[in-house]
Amino acid sequence: MNIAGSVDCEGVAKFAAGLPHVVLAKDNRYTCSDQGQELIKSDVKEHKLNRVVVASCSPRLHEPTFRKACEEAGLNKYLFEMANIREQCSWVHLHDREAATEKAKDLVKMAAAKAALLQPAEEIEAPIIRKALVIGGGVAGIQAALDLADTGYKVYLVEKEPSIGGTMARIDKTFPTMDCSICILAPKMSDVGHHPNIELLANSDVVDVKGYVGNFHVKVLKKPRYVTKDCSACGECIEVCPVIAPNEFDAGLAIRHAIYTPFAQAVPSAYIIDMGICLNKDGVIVCDKCMKACDRQAINFEMKPETVEFDAGTIIVAIGADIFDPSAAPNYGYGKYTNVITSLEFERLINAGGPSGGHLIRPSDMQIPQRVAFIQCVGSRSDKIERLYCSNVCCMNTIKDSLLIKEHWPETEIYVFYVDIRAYGKGFEDLYKRARKEGVKFIRGLPAEVIEDRKTHNLWLIGENTLQKKLYEMNVDMVILSVGLEPRKDSEIIQRLLTLSRTQDGFFMEAHPKLKPVDAATGGIFFAGCAESPKDIKDSVTQASAAAARSGILMARGKVTVEAITPIAYPENCNACGLCTKVCPYNAITLNKELKRIEVIEAACGGCGTCAAECPFGALTQNHFTDEQIVAQIDAVTEQGAEKKVVAFCCNWCAYAGADFAGVSRMQYPPSVRIIRTMCSGRVAPKFVERAFARGAAAVLVAGCHPGDCHYINANYQTQKRVERLWKRMEQQGLNKERLQLLWASAAEGERFASKIREMQAMVEKVTLEDIENAKKVFEKALGGG
Amino acid sequence: MPVRLWRTPLDIEKVKLPKAEIHITKDQCNGCGYCIQYCPKKVLEESEEINARGVHPPRVVDEGKCIVCGFCTAVCPDFAIFVVEKQCEGGCYV
Repeated sequence: MNIAGSVDCEGVAKFAAGLPHVVLAKDNRYTCSDQGQELIKSDVKEHKLNRVVVASCSPRLHEPTFRKACEEAGLNKYLFEMANIREQCSWVHLHDREAATEKAKDLVKMAAAKAALLQPAEEIEAPIIRKALVIGGGVAGIQAALDLADTGYKVYLVEKEPSIGGTMARIDKTFPTMDCSICILAPKMSDVGHHPNIELLANSDVVDVKGYVGNFHVKVLKKPRYVTKDCSACGECIEVCPVIAPNEFDAGLAIRHAIYTPFAQAVPSAYIIDMGICLNKDGVIVCDKCMKACDRQAINFEMKPETVEFDAGTIIVAIGADIFDPSAAPNYGYGKYTNVITSLEFERLINAGGPSGGHLIRPSDMQIPQRVAFIQCVGSRSDKIERLYCSNVCCMNTIKDSLLIKEHWPETEIYVFYVDIRAYGKGFEDLYKRARKEGVKFIRGLPAEVIEDRKTHNLWLIGENTLQKKLYEMNVDMVILSVGLEPRKDSEIIQRLLTLSRTQDGFFMEAHPKLKPVDAATGGIFFAGCAESPKDIKDSVTQASAAAARSGILMARGKVTVEAITPIAYPENCNACGLCTKVCPYNAITLNKELKRIEVIEAACGGCGTCAAECPFGALTQNHFTDEQIVAQIDAVTEQGAEKKVVAFCCNWCAYAGADFAGVSRMQYPPSVRIIRTMCSGRVAPKFVERAFARGAAAVLVAGCHPGDCHYINANYQTQKRVERLWKRMEQQGLNKERLQLLWASAAEGERFASKIREMQAMVEKVTLEDIENAKKVFEKALGGG
Repeated sequence: MPVRLWRTPLDIEKVKLPKAEIHITKDQCNGCGYCIQYCPKKVLEESEEINARGVHPPRVVDEGKCIVCGFCTAVCPDFAIFVVEKQCEGGCYV
């Protein structure tokens, strides 16, 4: 049972029936289903209900469902309220039915108290710009851009490297069908280059994104190529360029010149000069060999970086993944022994267009190896190197690689050292069987160490075969490390620019793991490919098409409704002090000096409510999170047994979502906490905290997004200032300031939230009645009004 | 790029880079040092000897590093240095 397993639902319903304003309380299963929604609708009509409270899962999951049911019953959707008794109650107090039931009652009481004060509201509509931005030009970004462009939308595709293609362009064959990777990718790349609806910005970085769903303003920095569009890719310049460096595309196995094209099929096909190694620095042209060789005079050392600005309605994040650097696992000797290579280096060696012309050769003596070992899970599923996740593609990649070797050199002995072989996809098991049939030996148990024979440069693998419980010592000519995938080093920049969340592993976090797997929690932003988690090509393409469809839905509709959570102004109270205009992250409030009052621009408002928290005169409050409503929730919590309770204010995007995540993961924590949801921790006015203490709460927690991750640009910096001011005051008044805690926790940090509550519980147990009384006295004033 | 590039590229021996022959007319040098300062590969340095004009002419440190860009010839105010590409049988390799 989801809820009834640890909460006495019937008891909660009975309790609810006795609450003020409540005329009907029912205990029902699966209220979110069609039947449940029908029940709500018929009850609203039959009993002429004017407010509805549902106690069930998190509002982050089903609030839209129930709001729709209310609307269909003729009730304004803002007259609906939810009590989260699953993620934040039954799932986190699985073994204390009594306490969980008491908490559920409190949560329902809080919701009912708020519901009584809810006001109907109308949402404003904002137009959606019918253009999309796709960040990242790997196979996922390419697919998403093509799908959107084919639908008829203008697409800006931004790629940081000089060419699109991503990791797929470097792979020789794909699994399980053994297609030539670049042969199936190159036509798509060229489609992107020629599509009239796609503007390709290669060698460019997204440097700034402002705005909100439907109306993003994007700044892209186009780095100079030093080669103009006149380049015909004839290659004469390469012949004369005297500077060389290892070629990134071939994983350093081949050289390239300072002027180069990343690879033969590159799009755009124009050449580029690597200024890091070119002799012409700081505008002094020392070497002009390429300029002299170029018939079309396409080389221009004067080229400067350029900022491109445009508007976009939706954004698809397809930045891909980095490849694990195995020198971080020193026991395998990568970087020390030349015949230990990575699976990516293998791809370049076995590729006919690669540096060895498709011959698998040992780097030490250029001979074809007779005995080859693959080591699995290098950079995956390991505590030691802090990569706990499975990288998803390496098992099948190794099986494919082993078959490629067998295809060219059937006599080669191949050993695969693995932990588990994960052949879960369509056609994967067949490929695995085929590899075993061809004589590839699979040995369970990774080698503990790889040691090089200094004379022959052969390698010894030492470890335990865990199926036979026997130690092995094996001599091979070459070792291929099946390296995992890891989040891009620059994910953090994208995370900041778009205010996204990342999971503990570092990949981007989706809005819901099952039902919204391609949506970001931030409206109008979607994920495709390895940016969200490691994936093979098929899954990346599938997700890219899904992301394109999701963003297409928004753009086809052409408008987006902005939630009615904007501020309400009471000009008669306004003192024209201008404090609110200073804290507003969107500059949505202006001070009219002539009329001596403020003016709110609703369309620009993001809905954080930090203005309402800042106003000392009660001239501002936030729709749907009014002072009265929040005070009613505080009062409901503190009516009984306040001296044992923690009143928590959590922001919708990070801390509240983190608390939900703790529930989904069944992390257990003490039941003393009662969470009040606000959109941003910046909404938490000092008077709310004061009131909680004045009414005898043992402790107060204010929790929000990490600084810099705020969904309202920087509103949580105000939170910090306000909490610090309260701490100072508590200290001056001789109160224990530990009783007020500030927590930054992201949506993925369920454990961080849970352990904070555990820590606070230990503190609460030490709070004496005398402490409570002292705080009541200090904050007495906060009881007025409200 | 994610993975470190640490290997010697397999095709390094096949790369044809020009080999240089540097000619310095020592007594024509006025010791301005432009050729030393502007050489992108740092092939030249000041020598100990004193020439007819009473200054230290440049000296070649490593001719193998020179890529025959000819910038030293271009900046020399006294036409005291020039570089030609070495012609070897079967091509010159680095």
